[in-house]
Amino acid sequence: MAGVLARRDRALNPEETEALLREHLGEQVLGSVVEFGTFTCKLAPEGWVEAARLARDEPQLAYDLFDSLFGVDAREEGFDVVAVLYSTSTGNRLVLRTRVPGGRDAPRLASITEIYRGADWMERETYDMFGVVFDGHPGLEPRILTVENFEGWPLRKDFHLASRAAKPWPGVKEPAELDEDGNVIERVPEIGDAPGPYELDKAMAAQAKAVIEQERVEREERERKAAERAAKAAERQARKEAKARAAAEAAAAKAAAAEADADQQPASSDEEDGA
Amino acid sequence: MGVMDQVELPKPVRYVFNWGRKFSLWCFNFGLACCAIEFIAASTSRHDFIRLGVIPFAHGPRQADLLVVSGTLTDKMAPAVKRLYEEMPEPKYVISFGSCANCGGPYWDSYSVTKGVDQVIPVDVYVPGCPPRPEALLDGIITLQHMIQHESLPDRIAGRRQDAVTLGADAPLTLEGR
Repeated sequence: MAGVLARRDRALNPEETEALLREHLGEQVLGSVVEFGTFTCKLAPEGWVEAARLARDEPQLAYDLFDSLFGVDAREEGFDVVAVLYSTSTGNRLVLRTRVPGGRDAPRLASITEIYRGADWMERETYDMFGVVFDGHPGLEPRILTVENFEGWPLRKDFHLASRAAKPWPGVKEPAELDEDGNVIERVPEIGDAPGPYELDKAMAAQAKAVIEQERVEREERERKAAERAAKAAERQARKEAKARAAAEAAAAKAAAAEADADQQPASSDEEDGA
Repeated sequence: MGVMDQVELPKPVRYVFNWGRKFSLWCFNFGLACCAIEFIAASTSRHDFIRLGVIPFAHGPRQADLLVVSGTLTDKMAPAVKRLYEEMPEPKYVISFGSCANCGGPYWDSYSVTKGVDQVIPVDVYVPGCPPRPEALLDGIITLQHMIQHESLPDRIAGRRQDAVTLGADAPLTLEGR
């Protein structure tokens, strides 16, 4: 296979690609995974540039089209940088991924603009959004996506949105806020909970709150009255039932007495007859 | 503008001038997002705002009377809108078309979106909707024409000088950076 040019019918499969990369990079290939039809190769940051060079220049790989490059926030562990490469001769797509050294405080990675010119603006965008510094890049400043004097790195997970500080997101955050046990926290915002920054907003919120309070008072009053009515009705019903029961008992006693009388009467009549 | 913004014209003359102005609004479409598509729909034959005297696609801001900002204005783009507006000759009118241009719309909490084009330039008519239908734009244009018919140019200019827009009023906005 060695020395064979890349062709669509001879495209390397993911295993062969990984083997080829391992052959050249050795320990710097940390692993690979095929997810959703995409072959992702995880690399040590030291092998980042070399892997890109290899992917472009190795005749069997020939990843000649630089597709995209972007960052991923990996929480405490810092940031990942992902590059997507495409080969126009084999039709393969290769994703290179690396964990940027320097953690969250000073993420620095070598630039691949030497290899792919198209990576220039992609790396600038990644710098803009995540603050990842690319060594060897022709110029990350001025910022390309945000205003020049923008402070902070907006796609970092710990970036605070100023508008959200004044007015919290209405509802559960995406994908979901979880408590310690992993249950979804249901948060139903009430009208007037979080007024906006303007006086009008505050006035409207206060008004809405007043209306809600009034409605609550009215509802409670209604419920109290209904409960009173229900209690009275129950009392009346109980009294009626007691009366009915007493009447029934009286009737039963009367009937029993009458029966007893009737029992005695025939006997007496028998006696009379007998007499 | 010279003498026109200093001196109140006699009423009949003003009527004629305003009438002329309201039916020849050369329109510059600052299309920034999906609302621009609705604007284009309003300019084509079904809705056809040319029948209202709005002439779309002025050659540039220097030939335009009406600026329609349709779409999401970002902070990065704001200086460009400001500059464009300043290039337009008086009397100039602005329609803010769609929720994003009105107040930031669904991007109310975004780090990059300007919360309303009126933070950068003065707006005459707001057209709500996300995006608004072309009929809404026609309604906005008719509202603007009504305003123009009954306006006094010296008052308008004086008001413009009095209520300078906050952003860029004290320090000039440039494309090179603030």
